[in-house]
Amino acid sequence: MKKYWWLGLIFIGALILPLVVGEFWVHVAVEILILGLFAVSFNMIFGYMGQLSFGHAAYYGVGAYATGLLMVKASVPLPICLAASMIAAGICALIFGYFCVRLTGIYFAILTLAFGQLMYYIIFQWYSFTGGDDGLQGIIPPDLLFGATSYYYFTLLIVTAALIVMWYISKSPFGYTMRAIRENADRTRFLGINVRRYMLINFIIAGMFAGLAGGLLGPFNRSVAPDLCNWHQSGVPVFMTVIGGPLGFFGPMIGSVIFTFLMAFVTGFTEYWPLTIGLIIIFVVLFMPGGVLGLVEERVEVFRSKGLKARANNSKY
Amino acid sequence: MRIILNIEKVFDMQEEVILKVEKLNKTFGGLKATDNVNYEMINGELSAIIGPNGAGKSTFFNLLTGYHAVDSGKVFFKGRDITNWPPYKITRLGITRAFQVSNIYPALTTYENMRQAILAQQKKTLNFFTPAERLAKKETSDLLEITGLSQHANMTAGNLSQGDKKRLELAIALGSKPELLFLDEPTAGMSGEETHETMKLVKRLNKEMDLTILFTEHDMSVVFGYARRLTVLHQGAVIAGGTPEEVRANETAQKVYLGEEA
Repeated sequence: MKKYWWLGLIFIGALILPLVVGEFWVHVAVEILILGLFAVSFNMIFGYMGQLSFGHAAYYGVGAYATGLLMVKASVPLPICLAASMIAAGICALIFGYFCVRLTGIYFAILTLAFGQLMYYIIFQWYSFTGGDDGLQGIIPPDLLFGATSYYYFTLLIVTAALIVMWYISKSPFGYTMRAIRENADRTRFLGINVRRYMLINFIIAGMFAGLAGGLLGPFNRSVAPDLCNWHQSGVPVFMTVIGGPLGFFGPMIGSVIFTFLMAFVTGFTEYWPLTIGLIIIFVVLFMPGGVLGLVEERVEVFRSKGLKARANNSKY
Repeated sequence: MRIILNIEKVFDMQEEVILKVEKLNKTFGGLKATDNVNYEMINGELSAIIGPNGAGKSTFFNLLTGYHAVDSGKVFFKGRDITNWPPYKITRLGITRAFQVSNIYPALTTYENMRQAILAQQKKTLNFFTPAERLAKKETSDLLEITGLSQHANMTAGNLSQGDKKRLELAIALGSKPELLFLDEPTAGMSGEETHETMKLVKRLNKEMDLTILFTEHDMSVVFGYARRLTVLHQGAVIAGGTPEEVRANETAQKVYLGEEA
């Protein structure tokens, strides 16, 4: 465990953050956590399984709507709503994933995108149930979590727990089987592994955690909108993962810190946020192909894991 | 564990047919890659399939292991029809293979490569919460030891020498604990000394671990030195077969194959 002292430091930093920054930045921090969880779940498919999902927002949106609908229409307590978000997103991932895992590479990306857009149009058109274009308003968190700081701590707790679970999965035999499928799916079949089934299970797990992230978002924004399912939203975890680095577990979270912080900062004085992030992505792709985490691991001994450099050199991204 | 002291005894001990192939056919865009092949293996055999490049040796393995779908014909493993089964099911049944071009996990370490095969064999790959590094330690180290890869355990597999990659390829196949093992040119790309070592290992596996092995090879000395029965493939069809001596004496075989090489 000695290697991970820096994680403890970061967690302590996260605990004292609301005491040292204003409410605006606490809001930003909540968003960093939620989007970070979304991006880490995306990276279970991208970094570990080696497939680019361009429709991951479908599960994020389904999670957001599950919590939103249950709170607005049935006043269900928030923790139960979040569990329901995970289940709803998981079922959605099971149905879409069943078809997606039959493909790989660009075809996988296109099909996930198509299913993502399908989900978007369902939510957009089904006015009587989802509120269509208007979205859902009045998703009010319970009194205890009403303030920015208390909601921040709640989010920190949930996201940390979710990250610990995903961290264990990434180190487990299942996690290594995902790496094996990424590296060489054929060889993995000849080890007696039903590759498609394993890809589907991973797809469902990733969808469930995206659903959890979505569930946390509604009560934070007090509303949800169909745009949460749109392909713009699917691009967010892709950008975050590319910036942070797909080859380490925490890369997407680092990407979320950079992306979300910059967005909050840059939109404060210019409307050219898309241009800014576009330039950053180009810079990262050209000069730091392993992302920020890749660069740090390459330069700083403490963070270096065996084989990482070769991994970056061999990587297909 | 059954130890065979006398090679000649193999054929009259437990005459169990482990593999039976009937009238197997495969065509690729008009090219007959496998032409009405009949084949049979007895439990405990160490045999080889030879033939010039393009004779259909790899295709034959691909058909037997579910990598390609057969056009017609049947494959039986211990009396069970396994024709066109998916590779993962065939592997679970006890058949596995090593590929001609080493087919490993280049970005994982040698140890992780080995462990993956063993975890799959132990059916532990649906374990989500035990760190993989705590599992299958002994089995992984043992197999690396047997195959002579211990000193490279922590090396990224993509950086291994060609010979060591092939050795890892064999080690991964062994990790699946097969009863029947197909080796597609197990010594391709190896130096003379490495070739000798690898074939000695193959022989030992066959004798000591009760492993039925079928390999393809183009290096004649390897074939005649280690295989007890040879089958000659030419343009997808079996044209000769028997002990190494019989094949050496066979005129057809000499014409299409031995003549070219020897």
